Amino acid sequence: MSATSAVSAAAADAPSSRQRWTALAAWLLLLVAGIVVIAHSRFSADLSAFLPASPDGRQRVLIEQLQSGVASRTLMAGIEGGVDAEQRAAVSRAMAAQMRASKLFEQVQNGDAGDWSAAGTWLFERRYQLSPAVTPEHFTAVGLRDAIDETLSLLGTPAGNAIKPLLERDPTGETQRIAEGLIPASAPRSAAGVWVSRTKPRALILASTRASGGDLDAQAIAIAQIQQAFDSAVQQLGNAASKPTLLMSGAPVFSVQSRDKIKGEALHLAAIGGIVMSTLLLLAFASLRALFIALLPVLTGVVAGTATVSLVFGSVHGLTMGFGSTLIGETVDYAIYYLIQARQNYPGAPAGSGWRHWRAVHWPTVRLGLLTSVVGFAALVFSGFPGLAQLGVFSLAGLIAAALATRYVLPVLAPDGASGQGMRRPMARVAGALVRALPKLRWAFVGLGIAALALVLWQGGHLWRANLSAMSPVTRAAQDLDAELRDDIGASEGSTLVVLQGADEQATLRAAEAATLRLDALVGRGELAGFETVTRLLPSEAAQQARIASLPEAQVLRTRLVEASAGSPLPAAKLEPFIADVVAARALPPIHSTDLKEGPLAGVVNAMLFERPGGGWSSVIALHVGARFDNARLRAALADVPEVQVIDIGAELGGLYSRYLHEAFVQVALGALAVLALLGLWLRSWRRLVAVSEPLVFAVVLTLGFLALAGAALGILHLVGLLLVVAVGSNYALFFDQLQETGEADEDTLASLLFANLTTVVSFTLIAISDIPALSSIGRVVAPGALLALLLSAAFARRRLGAPRR
Amino acid sequence: MRPDQWLKRWLRALVAVALLGTGTAWAFDLTELMGLLAQKKSGEARFTEQRFVRGLDGPISAAGTLSFQAPDKLTRETTLPRPESMAVDGNQLTLSRGGRTRTLTLDSMPEMLGMVEAMRGTLSGDAGTLQRYFKSKLGGSREGWTLDLAPTDERLAAQVDGVRLTGRAGEVLGVEMTFRGGDRSVMTIVPGAAPTAKPAAARAPS
Repeated sequence: MSATSAVSAAAADAPSSRQRWTALAAWLLLLVAGIVVIAHSRFSADLSAFLPASPDGRQRVLIEQLQSGVASRTLMAGIEGGVDAEQRAAVSRAMAAQMRASKLFEQVQNGDAGDWSAAGTWLFERRYQLSPAVTPEHFTAVGLRDAIDETLSLLGTPAGNAIKPLLERDPTGETQRIAEGLIPASAPRSAAGVWVSRTKPRALILASTRASGGDLDAQAIAIAQIQQAFDSAVQQLGNAASKPTLLMSGAPVFSVQSRDKIKGEALHLAAIGGIVMSTLLLLAFASLRALFIALLPVLTGVVAGTATVSLVFGSVHGLTMGFGSTLIGETVDYAIYYLIQARQNYPGAPAGSGWRHWRAVHWPTVRLGLLTSVVGFAALVFSGFPGLAQLGVFSLAGLIAAALATRYVLPVLAPDGASGQGMRRPMARVAGALVRALPKLRWAFVGLGIAALALVLWQGGHLWRANLSAMSPVTRAAQDLDAELRDDIGASEGSTLVVLQGADEQATLRAAEAATLRLDALVGRGELAGFETVTRLLPSEAAQQARIASLPEAQVLRTRLVEASAGSPLPAAKLEPFIADVVAARALPPIHSTDLKEGPLAGVVNAMLFERPGGGWSSVIALHVGARFDNARLRAALADVPEVQVIDIGAELGGLYSRYLHEAFVQVALGALAVLALLGLWLRSWRRLVAVSEPLVFAVVLTLGFLALAGAALGILHLVGLLLVVAVGSNYALFFDQLQETGEADEDTLASLLFANLTTVVSFTLIAISDIPALSSIGRVVAPGALLALLLSAAFARRRLGAPRR
Repeated sequence: MRPDQWLKRWLRALVAVALLGTGTAWAFDLTELMGLLAQKKSGEARFTEQRFVRGLDGPISAAGTLSFQAPDKLTRETTLPRPESMAVDGNQLTLSRGGRTRTLTLDSMPEMLGMVEAMRGTLSGDAGTLQRYFKSKLGGSREGWTLDLAPTDERLAAQVDGVRLTGRAGEVLGVEMTFRGGDRSVMTIVPGAAPTAKPAAARAPS
């Protein structure tokens, strides 16, 4: 296209000033709408965004557990130090009382025996519906004798005083039988009447919130309530010589902390990034106006990205928010290209029409760079993992919005680009020198690239050894504290779950009863230390009816008792209260889950039996595995129980991550292929395609080589980072391609490239030193990768540039 | 064993030997008894038990075997009137009754732990453990001693009035427990493993 025809073409479709203001107004409107959407967005920070959206059966159960299981709303508190165990116990009791009174918690346990007093009465009254020993044989003369003998064998022992008051009403020991099932196999140590740690001077409290684990605002309130309960308990100590400190952990603490940390870090990064970027822009343009204009596409991109994610996914993951700061690095490039390149114009063109020249000459290149990024990130959108898909949608919306703002809004505000001279001349000189010197290092780069490739191939799978926890922003120290408290409380054993599902509550309970029978056998053989099942508190109606039907009439029972107690130290004559209770039990209505929902056992029941989000019911049996546990034998024992899933949470999460990593590899590879295909279509030349992709391939390989050399453990986010390197780097490679085709390597274009690269590298370096692992992974890949992409684009340029073609 | 513990044991043994050598002019004290008990690292015994429970017509009898292995394994197998067992291994308590087995952590039930330590501490000669849970009073001589233990922990004291252990030299021959409310259990112990060892081994009392 000749210069004059371009001018006339531009003039022909030159927008009227009204059209230009319409563009500006539309942009402002969209920006405001985006900000409104963001203001009403829900921000999440849980791991579940990084779990697959289309899981298999076991994974679905696992995800349900992670998202809404009791673990997601269980908090652990440690009261450490202070004067002595008595003082800590006093604080523990005061705290627990306050926490219970707050009604925020479904269950607050601190080992105080009072925990069970209200429940105890109910269990005693309902013993003939609850005790698994109640069968017709149990109430024959032989069965009664056996049961009474067993109860008597506890009298005159340390347990005797607990049993004696109930002897005449419950001589067959149903209460003990129920209690026996409810005492966990791995209970915490108890001292001064409350739970304490086995290893540290520390009292323990375990609480589950009423609010769901996903409701982070409610979780934050619950956490604050615990802190406040502790503060006021400590205040009651008066001026004790030394006062304990509070430790807290659990999934809600992690989620809330992560959210706050990611939020804080995102703001922090945005602030520092903004300042550094502004300084650079000021140096480059020496104009506040230019600085303001350069930041507009960045702002537009971040707002559009966040708002789109919020609209598409219903909530914005904290990680996506943090990722927003990475977008600054790429979107600011658009503004820089425009502001510098729009200064050029056709010879003799009127002032204020520089944007037309830019639109004709440079916009196609920027647009192609944008398109390559878009196809690259589009691969992520189709990821089966909502977390990755969010990053993809965010990047797409953000980049497109920033590019459109550059294309339509910047010409209105700065028709001739940035006027200031600033540091651009020295920058252009540096760029020119680099461009002339780098091709000499070409073979050195090739050698390095081959060495890096060898290293990466040699390390192979070992290089990609990061795991799911590497993405979590929770610090090592916090994870250690969590493990310690979990050990103290005996909750660490809950890592193997047996989950039963049914169409309705009763079917689920019957399945749980079937599983309980098999698990009892394992416990009997010593292959399982114990387990907790809801059916000990809420048997299926069928089981309850069978038990009630086993109870004989008063007269029959009386006769059998006489026969059973012949020669026994407990004569039948004393057992009239027992007969009365049995008669009363025959008339009791069955226990329903609704009876338990209000009482003291609600927490225990809700933790183990719940309605599934997608319909149907689910019951969880938590295992205390013990030393001789064998997963295969457990699975074999449960093989014929319908609708049962055995979940080893650790192994399952590991498996999920592997699948996730594999999928990310495929997606990133597809994204890269799509980028190549697009470039090929645009360039329509194998030679130019190779020339453009060469520096990108080498940049990726060298970056991986550096990371391998540094001993980094790579994971999914590093992969995403590599995709960003290709996306950002393709812009540079395309500019060099364009420069070679036109042969013009003017100072301004070189300066804009160098400057855009500088801002990208700086913004990703800031991210690289973030202490949120997910962000730093991306930064550590993109910062060196982007720098390499520019240097390599210059090094692999076939024709010498830096001087106008003669 | 830590060197200081070893040294303490060795000193205790030395003291015991010295006392034996010089006759029994010295009063028999807890240190000496513990020294004697500590020498025995494991043992098996048979027991018979009679429990007197208020409100029941007549005592409840039981019989079975006991075994101990220093420092913290203790098993009570009841064979009569019905088979049941209680095994303590470190902090783990395994109860088997009526064909069911339950595993529990001992330190989650301080009262239970106290009673276990009364036995374990005595059998292993661990005075420190005993004194953590009980006030002790020793009477008699090396040839026939009585060790009275009164719980110091108020929660344990709410259940148990006292434990009286009787024995000769390094052998425990009787355990009597008195519970709050007046119930009582009296256990007679015959050292030796096999139930066939009728005229008990050399260490058994005549």
